[in-house]
Amino acid sequence: MIEFYDVSFRHQNGIMALREINLKIETNTLTAIVGENGAGKTTLVRHINGLLKPSQGKVLVFGEDTKKQSVARLSRKVGIVFQNPDHQLFSDTVENEILFGLRNFGIEEKHDRLEWALEFFDLSRYRNVSPMLLSGGEKKRLCFACVLAWDPDILILDEPTVGQDHKHKEKIVLMINNLLQKGKTVIIVSHDLEFLWPQQPRTLVMSQGKIIADGNIAEALSNDSVIKQANLVRPQLLALAIALTLKPPRNVAEAAKVLAR
Amino acid sequence: MNTTYWVAGGFIYRRIDSIVHRFDARVKLLLTSELVALSLLSFTITELAIALGSTLTIAALAGILKRMGRTLLFSAGFSATIFIIDILVGYTIIEAIVYSMRFIAIVGSTSIFFLTTSPDELEQVMRWFKLPRDLIFAYVTAVRFVPVLMLDALQIMDAQKSRGLEVEKGNIFKRIKNFSPVLIPLVVNAVVRSGELAEAMEVRAYGAVKKPTMLYNFVMKNSDKIVAILSAVLMIPTLYYFLFLV
Repeated sequence: MIEFYDVSFRHQNGIMALREINLKIETNTLTAIVGENGAGKTTLVRHINGLLKPSQGKVLVFGEDTKKQSVARLSRKVGIVFQNPDHQLFSDTVENEILFGLRNFGIEEKHDRLEWALEFFDLSRYRNVSPMLLSGGEKKRLCFACVLAWDPDILILDEPTVGQDHKHKEKIVLMINNLLQKGKTVIIVSHDLEFLWPQQPRTLVMSQGKIIADGNIAEALSNDSVIKQANLVRPQLLALAIALTLKPPRNVAEAAKVLAR
Repeated sequence: MNTTYWVAGGFIYRRIDSIVHRFDARVKLLLTSELVALSLLSFTITELAIALGSTLTIAALAGILKRMGRTLLFSAGFSATIFIIDILVGYTIIEAIVYSMRFIAIVGSTSIFFLTTSPDELEQVMRWFKLPRDLIFAYVTAVRFVPVLMLDALQIMDAQKSRGLEVEKGNIFKRIKNFSPVLIPLVVNAVVRSGELAEAMEVRAYGAVKKPTMLYNFVMKNSDKIVAILSAVLMIPTLYYFLFLV
């Protein structure tokens, strides 16, 4: 369980990035955070593993106040896959890159975790290759592998679909579903509403440091003023459903069935 | 790292509307040169206190006193080292104080120029001195990249902390080693970025003509001329005093 109580955060340059956020994210749920650039999405998730501490209010992760915990201790439970892979890859080989987190957290079954991560993310053939030589999409997958290798309870994905082709987007969906089946909590920060729509996550819409809508993705994105304020474009299936005053279909197959009636 | 960011912020230009910021960049360079000369020629604590006082007065007029304070606080560490070395090699305490104060005064006076002069103005000054174009471009780009690299360093640090890296852990050697997961991506990103910048410049015809046209050129206002003349008028007798009477 993640809890935010009256959380505000002011950057060193004086800019107010979060304003009085009150939020509860239950364990084993999928939550999406959407909004325009600079809305405070990344700032919000950085509070969950203690990289940022609130200027006011408090954040509890599994009942523990993040102000009283080190980032390393919180990160064992909260894994963040950052947006830019070039900000984290440094090892001489893909294998060592994955082992870095496993060593830092003192995880015993390193070999099994490493093999699983290499296999799941299609990286086995690159195990002895420098991470710097991988393509953008492969680097991103390596970042997923690095974090999932230590099996955190909460996984935060910051713009996971950037640079990924269709096949690997499907792989991310598979990964999310696997994690949810294992009882994990997944939080996705994304601009890619078309990717989020079929997953039907609980959706938080942010604008100017505030949560302006919170609910099922269809509910959160149905309100015109929310869409306008957050500068979003609705997923096409939702836009179609609203235009035809239909119940929003989850995917194209469902839409086809409804339209055929 | 936040402390590093705080200190580094003291070395970075920020656009502020102040009387000193509005001066022509050549006038700012003249003032800085005069203050540096004053600091170099001063040999007593009183003279150095006057040089430092003049620097702080100009910094106050420029509204950069707080940020210069960070720079001076940072250089105080080096100044203390100078003091200790001077004592160890046999200088008197007064002489050691003078040398360490002189270092602070020089750092303060050069900060005035760099904290009040934008990279664009810096480029214009260098062009005015007719320095080679590639050299100007390389230097100004390096100055512009400082804040970008700082931001990169913070983001890399956050990413590695999230993977369990604890840079503050262990003895000094361990701590230095702990920085490699931060330094390697930082250097690699900087190299990649410089390559991309070179390509982006080439596709926009950098170097295609020998004398490119400029959007802005120096125009010295009357107020700039008055400040330049006043400072020179004050400086000439001061230099005469230091060079011939002391």
